[in-house]
This record gives sequence, structure tokens and C-alpha cells, in this order.
Amino acid sequence: MRVERRITLNADRDTVWTVLKDPDDYPSLLPHLQRWEPVTEDPPGVGSRYTVLWEVGGIPVGGVIEVVEFDTARDLAWISITGVTQRGHFRLRDAGPGRTTVNFRLAYHSDGGLLGLIADRIAARQVGRSLSQSLRNLQRLVES
Amino acid sequence: MTGVSDILDWARQKLAAQVPKADLDQRDPDYIRDQLPGLWLLASLYFRADVRGLDRIPADGPVLLVGNHSGGNVPPDTFVFTLAFCSYFGVERPFYQLVHNLVALYPALRWLPKFGTVAASPDNARLALESGAAVLVYPGGDYEVYRPSWQRHVVDFGGRKGFVRLARETAVPIVPVASVGGQETALFLGRGQVLARLLMLDKLFRLKSLPISVALPWGLNVTDWLGHIPLPAKIVIEVQEPIEATDDDQAVYDEVIASLQAGVDRLAAQRHFPVIG
Repeated sequence: MRVERRITLNADRDTVWTVLKDPDDYPSLLPHLQRWEPVTEDPPGVGSRYTVLWEVGGIPVGGVIEVVEFDTARDLAWISITGVTQRGHFRLRDAGPGRTTVNFRLAYHSDGGLLGLIADRIAARQVGRSLSQSLRNLQRLVES
Repeated sequence: MTGVSDILDWARQKLAAQVPKADLDQRDPDYIRDQLPGLWLLASLYFRADVRGLDRIPADGPVLLVGNHSGGNVPPDTFVFTLAFCSYFGVERPFYQLVHNLVALYPALRWLPKFGTVAASPDNARLALESGAAVLVYPGGDYEVYRPSWQRHVVDFGGRKGFVRLARETAVPIVPVASVGGQETALFLGRGQVLARLLMLDKLFRLKSLPISVALPWGLNVTDWLGHIPLPAKIVIEVQEPIEATDDDQAVYDEVIASLQAGVDRLAAQRHFPVIG
């Protein structure tokens, strides 16, 4: 299951990147986060790991993730190491002078066969709302 | 001449011999991972589960999780908490749940050991804790789980303090786990303790209750041995602050009960209607 939301911000990519480049600040950005703790001590970059749990349906869902793309002012992506299989991606692209389009994608997959597929499908609505809220939070942070 | 007590002793020994010693290697994280989505659906859609305070559980090492138990022979608090624990800490963290001997022997539930479920005995619990695992125990067990529905917000272990001694001897913290909603999944009318004593079930099977309830699909349900279809009551669970097991077992027991009762009272105060939540 892949869920994607997009927003165009009145800020250039470097400004947006100053918010997104530090995953330590994500608790103020991502809604429904129940836990976000760094596992590695190095500055954020490829290989940084975090324990991340979202509250989905009243139950914490997540695990350890690792940053796999850290391309300044362009892309930041992570994959899961434990827990529900997932890949998250912030994609920044120019949208005209002083404007940036941000795509926030979350692809995830639960084990468990048919029940996993049903759970993924049902969770998609809440995941979509969370992504939209995240982008609105990002907008508030970069345009204020 | 062989007396009734000799026959009962013999029957008890035969039954006890059937109770498997915990084989911790039967726990299968891959199997648990496969089951989590189905459990998540059941917990989220049917029971509208809400689990709070998991961050109060020590992040690693052995810990004794002590909960109040509800829901008769189909206790939703157990599987909701197991799901939440495995989701929060990952299926990789060793986690075992203690269940009544008869549950461990029930043929239809032979898959439970894959979840880390073991028969409730001091030896099994000690084995799991000494391996460094988290262990979930419901000291009230069959006594508490059949309390009348109008006592649904009363924590009552029936004076069972074995968990305190276990925590003290293994030097692990106790973390109380309070839950509400389970006793609203059927209308529990009473424990039937007198009937259980008359039929000598307490001596034979360690069953101190012969509960009577009104439950789906049976209507009047005596014993609940075949289980029932639980009503979709909202299940709310809140983990409390850890408690250190000191030398004074009674004081620790009282502290655990007080912590659980305070948690249950807090959660109950937030409920507006039975079942709906």
C-alpha cells in the first residue's frame, strides 16, 4: 500500500530543507507519533536510525527505521529495519521562483496474508490524514 | 481403604503431569509478526482498543507485568496488551504470558506457545524472567475474571501474592497494567464458588469458580468452558509506573493493588456508557 500527499509551499527548497533535514525535530512535524527516539548518535544522514511508533487505531505501530537517502534540499527517505515494512520519502522539487513542491510518500506492507492486506487498506485512511497533517505542519513552520 | 482425598490427589497429580513445562523456544517471532495484522484489525475495529503508557515499561531486561483480568474465558485484555507490547517493543523482544493450566492444555489453543504463552506456574515464570524476558501475569486469574459485571471496576486478586515473591526472588520490577472494558463483553452474574466447591473442581482442576453469565451465542452460559462471543466493548489499557519488589511482600502487594485500582478508577471515570465506552 502506498499513500502520497503533496503540497506546494511559498518557500524555496533550502528553507524547507532546514526543517526536514533534522529528523530529531519530527515529533513536532508528524502527528500521531507516540515514540521517536534516535538509535544512532551521529548527525542525521544516511545510516541514521530511529525508533518510530505511530498510533494507528489506538495501537502503536512501527519499529526501527534507517535513513537511506539524504540528498540536500532534494530527497530524504527511510526504510524500516524492524516492525511493519515501510518506506517513507520526502521529495522536494522547485515549483517556480521561491516555491517548492513537497511530496510525502509512505509505502507500507503488513505480513499476515489477506488479513495484512485488509489491515493495510483500512489503515490507509488514517495514514493519509497523518501525511496531510504533516504537510500542513511543515507549511506552518516554513511560511510563518 | 482408598478415600475420596486419595482419589482427588491422584487425579490432581495426573492433571499436573499433563501441564507442560515452559519451552521458551516455542515462541516464534515470525509467527507473531504474521498474526499482528489480524489482531490489529480485531483490536482496532471491534474493541476500539486504546493502549497508553507503554513507555513506562523498562526498555529492556526482565520485567513482571501484572494486570487485572476481565472477560471470562475470552479475555480481550490479554490479546490487546500482547499486540500492543509486540508492536511497541517489536516481536524480537522476548515476551511471555502466563495462562491457567487448563488453557495451556486446551487442544484448540495449541498454537498459543508460539505467542510465548506458557502455563502459569512459579517455575515457568522464573524460567522466563531469568532468561531476561518480559512476563505478563494475571494473579486474579479465574477468580477475578468471573467477577460480576457490576464489580467490573474492582481489582480483586483474591489475596494471591505469589507474583510478589517471584519478583523479589528474581529481582525484577513489577509494572502494573490496568484495563477496563473486558467485563462488559458479557453479563457476568457471579463466580459460582459454592458450586465449584461442591463439585470439588477447586481440588481437581484448581478451578475456584463455576461462573454463570449471559453471553452470546448461548444465552445463559454456565462455566464458559466453550467460551463465548464477546460483545464489542471498548478496551482501554493503561500501564502504570514500575514498582520495586522489596522484602515486605504485603506492602508491595498493597502498592500494586492500589496502583491498579487507581488506574482502573481513572479509566472508568472517562467511560460514559458500558460497552460503548
